[in-house]
Amino acid sequence: MTTPIVEMRGIEKFYGRIHALRGVNLQVNRGEIVGLLGDNGAGKSTLIKVLSGAVPYTSGQILINGKEVALTSTNDAIDAGVETIYQDSALVPQLSIARNLFLGRELTRGPLGRLDQGEMNRVATDLLRRVGITKNIPPTTPISSLSGGERQAVAIARAMYFDSEIIILDEPTNNLGVAETQGVLNFVRDARDKGHACIFIAHNIHHVFQVVDRMVVMRRGEVAADDLSPKTSSIQDVENIITGEHLAA
Amino acid sequence: MTDEKTAAPAGAAPSRDFDLLRRLSATPELGPLILLIVMLIVFTSINPAFLSLNNISNALTFTVELGLIALGMTLLMTSGEFDLSVGSVFGFTAVVMWTLINSTELGMPLSFAIAMGVAILIGAVNGFFVTRLKIPSFLVTLGMLLVVRGSALWLTSGFPQRTWETGQQWLAEVLVGDFCIGGTGDFCSGGLRVYMSLIWFIVIAAMLHYVLTRTRFGNWIQATGGNPAAARNRGVPIRRVKMLLFMLTSALAGLAGIISSIRVSAANPNSGTTYELEVIAMVVIGGTALMGGRGTILGTVLGVLILRLMRNGIVLIGVPGLAYNIFIGAIILGMMALHSALERRHNEGT
Ligand SMILES: Nc1ncnc2c1ncn2[C@@H]1O[C@H](COP(=O)(O)OP(=O)(O)O)[C@@H](O)[C@H]1O
Ligand SMILES: [Mg+2]
Repeated sequence: MTTPIVEMRGIEKFYGRIHALRGVNLQVNRGEIVGLLGDNGAGKSTLIKVLSGAVPYTSGQILINGKEVALTSTNDAIDAGVETIYQDSALVPQLSIARNLFLGRELTRGPLGRLDQGEMNRVATDLLRRVGITKNIPPTTPISSLSGGERQAVAIARAMYFDSEIIILDEPTNNLGVAETQGVLNFVRDARDKGHACIFIAHNIHHVFQVVDRMVVMRRGEVAADDLSPKTSSIQDVENIITGEHLAA
Repeated sequence: MTDEKTAAPAGAAPSRDFDLLRRLSATPELGPLILLIVMLIVFTSINPAFLSLNNISNALTFTVELGLIALGMTLLMTSGEFDLSVGSVFGFTAVVMWTLINSTELGMPLSFAIAMGVAILIGAVNGFFVTRLKIPSFLVTLGMLLVVRGSALWLTSGFPQRTWETGQQWLAEVLVGDFCIGGTGDFCSGGLRVYMSLIWFIVIAAMLHYVLTRTRFGNWIQATGGNPAAARNRGVPIRRVKMLLFMLTSALAGLAGIISSIRVSAANPNSGTTYELEVIAMVVIGGTALMGGRGTILGTVLGVLILRLMRNGIVLIGVPGLAYNIFIGAIILGMMALHSALERRHNEGT
């Protein structure tokens, strides 16, 4: 038995009086893509925000590579190897691709923090090619003039560059076209094959079925199922668990 | 290859007209630069004395005092905040310094340091209310405007502070001394009299331009104003960024107030009233976004020149000085319309 790369134990989260997470346990293993499913308001985003250090949790334990960590800020999480690709709060529209890629982790020279713009642009160009942006988009292009898929690709490029062990994608395929969605799914498979762990949240259950190894379903702040395989469960089964229909039956 | 590629920006050869608009929207300084050139041409053709060295030197002297504040305000506004208390800090800091000089044995350098410390502290309090208590900067700095102005009036009972002849003081010389380029005699006739405050303005403008465009901190300033959630998610300390910029803006307002008080030999508790509006006007005319994310020191320098030449020019061409605000208001509205049209165009072009 190898230690899971991420282990969350008994996570509780209150937003004021709203009990958003009720004793959630989640394990993710190396080289595994876990699909996180659930209706709107089930607590998916809250759970991954806890793991990425963006919201404080009320109680519970988080272990990364078997060691307990205190994720009190997004910096803590990034340092622990957790890279989160948010659907809309990932990029600064006014800044260039290169500057977004390195935001908060800029390459600098000298004591005054002078940006090493040349090196940042060089790395960015290389990364853009690796995430499948073959059109000639210079790394100095501002994010505001990119399409939705290109923006997603930039966020993904960042996870690749920092070679994070744990990659979380919160609804990365929203608003994407067919080819762009395939690009994202390919990236996720690639990352898995290189030994990363991925947590993948998507509204479109078909996208989830195409790519994940295991599905976890959340309902009203609790884990309703955590060992569903796309090989043995049907989409209908999973949908029933998401809505709670299987309980009524 | 399916149809979603058609949404991409490349493709059709851009028309010349589109190219110019592209360039304009990518370079927010271009609009104010064109306006400045037009103003120079119009004013000079109406009254050739406008471009005389004497007139330029006079115009520049006053300019830089407000301009110093505008430089700090540019960075602050790029981070998504602004400061209405700068006019009060302008008046108050000078009053504090001169009160200390007149009523204690501290001497000028120490009094200067203490007064600057007070200005920075005011900025820190602004920053604390905005970043920790999450009160909008409009309300915080409006309150601070009243508190600081009130303090200046209370400290002086409303009377201007005595300012002795500072000519002998090295610090006064460093802050507002002058030298003459190309002229002769005590009056620098035929030449250009340059005040130290202009040098300060140029040096600080160059430094802040460098910080904003070339350094990690500048990247953080733009990210903080452009998408605070993204910046926070990447570990950018957005509260510390804003805090520092409030302190910087307040420090520059205090420095400007001290320079002004030495130049006019008066520390009036009322001086600097409504400067906050003129400073914000300079910054937005220059192309910095009121809502943050986009800022340009070069644009602000142009905005500073535009407002000063406007004030100077309309007097020279015989428009009553009282009509000044009409022109300033019209320029602000015109430039905002231009910037927002370019922005919309820019976003639609994608
Ligand atoms: N910042 C917040 N403040 C208060 N309540 C919140 C906040 N974020 C989420 N919630 C609540 O927590 C619950 C879980 O939300 P969320 O994690 O966003 O669900 P999901 O991502 O599965 O749709 C919902 O009831 C939601 O209203
Ligand atoms: Mg969500």
